[in-house]
Amino acid sequence: MSYQEEFRNALSIESLKQDLLRTAYDNEGTIFNRLDPRVLLTWYAAFLVIPWLFYDMRILGGLLTFVSVLAVVSRVSKYLIALLAFGVITNVLLYAFVTVLMGGSFVQSAMALVPYTTKLTIISVTSIAVFSGMSPKNISRAFMSIGIPRQFTFAISYGYRMLPVLIEEYHETVNVYRLRSRAPESPGRFKWRYYVYLIRLSIRAFYPMIFDVAKRSRVTVEALETRGFSHSLENDKSRELQLGDLRVGQFDVLFMGGSLIVIVGIILPFV
Amino acid sequence: MANTAIDVSDVTFRYPGVDDPILENADLRIERGEFIAILGGNGSGKTTLCKTFNGLVPNFFEGDFDGRVRVAGQNTRDASVADLSRDVGYVFQEFENQLVTPTVYDEMTFGPVNYGQDDYRERALNTLSQLDIETVDGRFIWELSGGQQHLVALGAALTMDPDILVVDEPAAQLDPVRAHKTYERLQTLNENGITIVTIEHHTEFIAEYCDTVALVADGTVKWKRPTHEGLNRIEELREHRIQPPQVTQVARKIEKGGSLPTTYADAINRYRSFEHETGQIDDHEIAREQSRDEPIISFRHVDHGYTTLRDGDVQVLEDFSLDLFPDERIALVGANGAGKSTLLRLITGIEKPNAGRITINETDTEDVLPEKLAADITYVDQNPEDMFIQDSVRGDISYYLRERDAADVEERVDEVIEFLDLEQLQDRDGRLLSVGEQRRASLGIGLATDPSIVLFDEPTGSLDLASRREVEQTINRAENRVETVIIATHDLELVAEWATRVIVLNDGAVETDGTLRDVFPNLDLLERCNLRAPQVVRLSDDLDISPPAMTVSELADRLSRRSPELKGVN
Repeated sequence: MSYQEEFRNALSIESLKQDLLRTAYDNEGTIFNRLDPRVLLTWYAAFLVIPWLFYDMRILGGLLTFVSVLAVVSRVSKYLIALLAFGVITNVLLYAFVTVLMGGSFVQSAMALVPYTTKLTIISVTSIAVFSGMSPKNISRAFMSIGIPRQFTFAISYGYRMLPVLIEEYHETVNVYRLRSRAPESPGRFKWRYYVYLIRLSIRAFYPMIFDVAKRSRVTVEALETRGFSHSLENDKSRELQLGDLRVGQFDVLFMGGSLIVIVGIILPFV
Repeated sequence: MANTAIDVSDVTFRYPGVDDPILENADLRIERGEFIAILGGNGSGKTTLCKTFNGLVPNFFEGDFDGRVRVAGQNTRDASVADLSRDVGYVFQEFENQLVTPTVYDEMTFGPVNYGQDDYRERALNTLSQLDIETVDGRFIWELSGGQQHLVALGAALTMDPDILVVDEPAAQLDPVRAHKTYERLQTLNENGITIVTIEHHTEFIAEYCDTVALVADGTVKWKRPTHEGLNRIEELREHRIQPPQVTQVARKIEKGGSLPTTYADAINRYRSFEHETGQIDDHEIAREQSRDEPIISFRHVDHGYTTLRDGDVQVLEDFSLDLFPDERIALVGANGAGKSTLLRLITGIEKPNAGRITINETDTEDVLPEKLAADITYVDQNPEDMFIQDSVRGDISYYLRERDAADVEERVDEVIEFLDLEQLQDRDGRLLSVGEQRRASLGIGLATDPSIVLFDEPTGSLDLASRREVEQTINRAENRVETVIIATHDLELVAEWATRVIVLNDGAVETDGTLRDVFPNLDLLERCNLRAPQVVRLSDDLDISPPAMTVSELADRLSRRSPELKGVN
């Protein structure tokens, strides 16, 4: 493979883009999206608490396995998971290393950190799975149903609308920079010069993108006005319509019941 | 007053922080059920005028507002934008920024739900089927093509059941066939009782579809007249940077006075009785004598596509081969989505073919970085504002040279700036210029690199007459400095005036490839590719003029030469 080809494959923005889009948008039919968003929010709240109640690594391991299975089922991005794993592992290693510098034992301090880190990981995996498995509409409705103002819930769904546009825009700007810049003549050992060059461009490309977003949003704000957005803020009827078709169904009950059984099954043998 | 939909009287408006008013003593009355075009050059104030209809001016833009606007009997000052918007639907020119929800269905229900309408589902579904886009209801907005997004924006306005619909430049980014479809759709809506206001500077559409036309210039409504009468005022239109329909321009050249035809049907009827005479083929449409030895750009069995979320891999080009030679003026024409932009991007090396080879001056694009190719190739983007990455035009032009530590940067930049008359613009931020200026400046960015190939993607999109001329001149100037110019466009009038070689793309394949004279007379083929030859070409065909005329003056020449009673008019 030539020098150029290797770069392209290693840093394929295209594949990263596809993967992120799939995580965020391909949630039709995932378990989490079929649930009533209020039920899911309750379930999620429970999972924010449960890990803190136990110290037994067998229980924590079981819980982690359970949420990981759910994450796999709701098609979470492999890049996000890799990023999370990287963060968790380096975190533990770093603390352990620092302990060594202070005169402690590497293994002991790492072991001491494991339960705490596992708890955080359980919560992180759950969050990723829940929010990437839910459609933007359901996320907004979930928040709206617990009384969060429409301005905020709208921002979430608008974010979903704009995210791919921004990614596209950013990619475009990076390309514009590339066509006008000079790549390093020789890439250096491990092509480090080339990567430094690309990172530099990637950072520079943010400013034009932000400028462009500001320009776009002028029209968006006008359009919101013409489509009755501000009208809906004081209109109870509108709120009712947005939340009206939320129903707790059989599937919700089954899911909650099933989760309860699994969790009890994980905990009971060890207490 | 019951029949008046919109009544603007003596409106003056100044945006906050600006000295000159954008509207000055504007008066306009629009009756219920009218299909009216608001005509005017870039920056004439036509969009601002239309924003008074739904109260965006002055309720949202709080500038100095004088005068009165009544919509459906209501003074817009006393009503909120949200209330007025129930009567007045508005489709913005930058329609993609008006779509605010993730999916098509959400977008359709957004308005009705905001207003608390119980039947929001039926409204959404009815509108979707009215516009024949039921199949996309679950799609994400960002997955749709520009044309589909425009339909969604239109649909979202229609779900509110408005009495009045304002559409800002509905055809700007569409290929000719799709543009006509859009207008036909608006016509149907108009027949169903909706008052339609379009902002437009393509007079051909106005002639075919609108009842009346209002000319807006210098912030005021110069006049409002029935379309035929309005478009007959050629000199006045030209003065305000508006291009009359080609058929009217031809008539103007060969007839002394009286009423000139404005629609295509009129023109045929008028000239059918004229006699035939074979004309001479002249100037640029004859292919230049080429030393057809070495192509400058060559595609060999190229496959290329992209990945979508829903449909997996989509192939744009399949087993695509093409040779482009130096000193050609190449027009790549084709409908929206035919693969024109993909082709240009492959030439720049920003995208690489999935299979096959592309060589530029015998260099395989696979073997070099796009940064390297950029020394020879300049790509002028479809959205010129994407090309501005510095905060002044001068900074943008010199960026490339500085990157490469070129000697005498300032001199070379000065030279380019002078060459393209950019002195006035050099210290301004490129992203804040008008579109016409942006295109000129973006070419400056390209020429600073001393390229041998220049690629223009859709260079005349949404430009008025004067800005178009500006771009055409710029292209002609560029030609003096570079070897090959390639333009991707669906603006066939531009092609007729300029190209020596026309390549018609359809679904990622070359449908036909030849000189202007070979390609343009083949009207069926163009139609099949969602393109439409300029009026003069079609008129030549219908009048059996062979070879067909390519430009207005050519047709005028022929017609005046062969009709005895008009001799001496020219």
